[in-house]
Amino acid sequence: MRWFRIDPLTRRRWARFRKLRRGYWSAVILGSLILLSVFAELLANNRALLVHYQGRWFFPTYGDVLPGTTFGLDYAYETNYKALQKQFAADSATGTWVIMPPVPYSPYENDLAANEFPPLPPSFERQHYFGTDTSGRDVFARLLYGFRTAIAFSLVLLMFEYLIGVAVGSSMGFFGGLFDLSFQRIIEVWSNTPTLYIIMIVASITPPSFWKLVLIMAAFGWTSMTWYMRTAAYRESARDYVLAARAIGAGNTRIVFRHILPNTISTIVTFIPFSVAGGITALSALDYLGFGLPPPTPSWGELLKQGTDNLESLWIVTSVVVAMTLILTLVTFVGEAIREAFDPKVRLHYE
Amino acid sequence: MNNTMLYRMIAPFIKGGGSRSGRGILRDHEIPPRPPLSKGEIQRTLIQFFMLLLIACASMSYAQTPHLPANLQWQTNDSDPIFADPNAKRGGRFRSFMTSFPPTLRLVGPDSNSGFVSYLRQNNLGLVSAHPNTLNPIPELATHWAFDADGKTVYFKLDPDARWSDGVPVTADDYLFALEFMRSKYIVAPWYNNYYTEIITDVIKYDDYTIAVREATAKPSNELLFDVAINPVPRHFHKLDEHWVEDYNWRIEPNTGPYQVDSIRKGKYVEFKRKADWWGNDKKYFQYRFNPDYIRIKVIRDINIAYNYFSKGELDSFPLIMPRLWYKKAQGEPYEKGYIGKIKFYNDTPQPPQGMYLNEDDPLLADRNVRYALGYAMNFDKVLKTVLRGDYERLQKQNEGYGDYSNRDIHPRPYDLDQADKYLRAAGWNERGPDGIRVKNGQRLSLRISYTNEDHTARLAVLKEDAAKAGIELTLQLLDATTSYKQTMEKKYQIAWMAWAGGGIAPVYWEFYHSDNAHKPQTNNITNTDNKAMDKKIIAYREATTKADRVRLAHELEQMAYDEGAFIPGYKVPYTREAFWRWMKLPPAHATRTSDQIFDPMGSTGGLLWIDEEEKDAVQKARILGTPYPPINILDETWRQKP
Repeated sequence: MRWFRIDPLTRRRWARFRKLRRGYWSAVILGSLILLSVFAELLANNRALLVHYQGRWFFPTYGDVLPGTTFGLDYAYETNYKALQKQFAADSATGTWVIMPPVPYSPYENDLAANEFPPLPPSFERQHYFGTDTSGRDVFARLLYGFRTAIAFSLVLLMFEYLIGVAVGSSMGFFGGLFDLSFQRIIEVWSNTPTLYIIMIVASITPPSFWKLVLIMAAFGWTSMTWYMRTAAYRESARDYVLAARAIGAGNTRIVFRHILPNTISTIVTFIPFSVAGGITALSALDYLGFGLPPPTPSWGELLKQGTDNLESLWIVTSVVVAMTLILTLVTFVGEAIREAFDPKVRLHYE
Repeated sequence: MNNTMLYRMIAPFIKGGGSRSGRGILRDHEIPPRPPLSKGEIQRTLIQFFMLLLIACASMSYAQTPHLPANLQWQTNDSDPIFADPNAKRGGRFRSFMTSFPPTLRLVGPDSNSGFVSYLRQNNLGLVSAHPNTLNPIPELATHWAFDADGKTVYFKLDPDARWSDGVPVTADDYLFALEFMRSKYIVAPWYNNYYTEIITDVIKYDDYTIAVREATAKPSNELLFDVAINPVPRHFHKLDEHWVEDYNWRIEPNTGPYQVDSIRKGKYVEFKRKADWWGNDKKYFQYRFNPDYIRIKVIRDINIAYNYFSKGELDSFPLIMPRLWYKKAQGEPYEKGYIGKIKFYNDTPQPPQGMYLNEDDPLLADRNVRYALGYAMNFDKVLKTVLRGDYERLQKQNEGYGDYSNRDIHPRPYDLDQADKYLRAAGWNERGPDGIRVKNGQRLSLRISYTNEDHTARLAVLKEDAAKAGIELTLQLLDATTSYKQTMEKKYQIAWMAWAGGGIAPVYWEFYHSDNAHKPQTNNITNTDNKAMDKKIIAYREATTKADRVRLAHELEQMAYDEGAFIPGYKVPYTREAFWRWMKLPPAHATRTSDQIFDPMGSTGGLLWIDEEEKDAVQKARILGTPYPPINILDETWRQKP
């Protein structure tokens, strides 16, 4: 696999990227945030991290539901670990204990009690660090899981879009002629289809899901990538090494994927961060309008909608706006740094 | 923005429908769409239509003018108290809002069920209406009425003063034409076609100001009278042909009420103007009402923006039924300084049956035990106490608020996990899967609940979480109103979260529970209830003619409906509440027993408000200077029903 062999050029780009402090540290922070969100269940969850009961160890976070009867409680539904923690703390003699995650609420859990009405303001005592939303769900948990959904969505979307966009774009550039011309026209028409309306129409007929949204958005979003890839492939295919490859008998597929594509990789890579940012905002916009993922899926758009509808509960809108600004800024910084590190003017000398 | 999206957004805010417009799905105070006809009904309609034609031809040959039966007991009502305030001042402009522009100005036909159309319907008077406090009949377009011994026919003496807005007198011919019009296929309104064929079977003219209206089945006289109190249709205005629907889309139909559409700016607003020389000005129950000269209904597409308009004084009143608005939005300086007042008014009307409708044709829900278990697994109590702030009350049964007809011994199944467990075990759902949800033969006990209002997500999220404790998974399916309506009417749903519109004097059972309407699309028996014992009782109820019998049968039917378990009662809102600017004035009683809106400029319970222009100027000045008034917080419990 030639793609993964670190050639000197890539090494030089990487070094340059590391030198761009702002972009590099943004990437580090963003990467760790994504990593954290992958293990969101360990950070914000109503399931305990660890339970020690009658000499046995339980790790309820991942895996099957443990009914209350497991811990000598009188109900068959999932154990309420917060109550269990209090109960065990009360009879401390037996050496049973529960460790809860830092935020002991799942994103779907309604923390409600009579005579107090959500949304509740942030409270350290109750471990609602960012407060609760209008259904009494923890805003931090919703943000965290919402971030995971958003980032997963944009990465999957990006993969699909680039797969189609790159393949079609480089074929257009490489083959040229009638194929190029006809595809240009097709793409012009296709890219003028209003995606948002399509999604609205689909959402009104069937409830949208993660994959349905990815497929619709990818179906209409791949076109923008084709133009860049077309240009890049067009330029590369005129170079001597392509001619050389052809001379020793390489087929079209081999030339496109083995020779041209690796040489246009910088075009692709520089676009990735901006596509990620685009994916996050697109999903949030759809959720905000109510055409995105079905409730009660945690999502930033839905939080934003709640926040703007309840401006008097300022903690909702503040949390989500700050989080969104932070992530989008980080992504943009990374994007800029990559663009600079991959800038061909720095390393190429035309004579 | 597309239409369906607007539709979803307006859902909680638009007004209730006309009283005689039949039943449709009501989505949180939304206008009722009319239930379409089934094939069987269409056939029956056609047969009946030809029979009528035959009878009409036969009778025409020997009797040109029918004669009034002798010794009719003419009745009227001028003894009930008036409910308007003699101190009311005329004039001014009342400003309200709607969240979308109406798709048509027609009263019937396609798209004629938007929230706006109720303003038009309210100015389209009927023969009689109910006194909003005593519920006795009071004159509207008829001055007197008399009942025939057959229990199906009512005679009316028309008010000779009544005029269409273009000055043409309202005569018996307009009622004859109403029948022709409502039966016409050109109006593309199957519900009306059916109602004016199956329920209203005939209109007879004796002279220009005396008519009789006949219904298909005999009924107790009070129910019969309101059923047959039809609205006239201006014969001189309509030309019925295949182009009617398009031609009359934006034409302003002459009406009989106090207001008429005066100016329209498409997409912006509709303005009504008070008729200066309205024929009803001096009639007892119309006096002192309908006071503003103009009523402007502005299009504001977002409820939060509409509230901002209101708080700036651009709208005169604002509905605050939703707890979020009442507790969070309606606070602050203008309230403390008394520029804006708040009023909460308990009313006493039939409650829309809001809750969960279970589709008995669904394989999972076909088992009565599962339906019972679901009833026991819904923690409505928690929803009411938390998300709804204890503001709403639990609905007890499907038909509530019908006075004697309502069976007070029926209460909804409470949240009880032991009972839920018992019934689920009886249905064979013994085991729980790894996620705590019950499984049987590899199938999970997962049910889809469809709803249309985003604001209800919080309520359903609570129900979902507590239902999981019983081992039942609810998946929430938020649909737009049109899609949901279609899906429900085609009976392709599992659980529908909705309410019916309607009301009237007595509950109806045939359309909701009779097996004739089960297992086929486009009927109101959306739960597909198919219970032969119930069928018999329903027919007996339909045919019973004394009130005592009907009450007894209604009680038994309500019990059977409870035993069927296909409806899980949700909540009711036995009051209405609004915010209003200080210059808006109301009678001492504020509103009426049956008012579903306090600052309602029109309609049979409305028109009580007036605008105090002097105070308006004073309040505007005080706002600039910051001078405070005493705050206004009105709680009116006159009509509150003790549980």
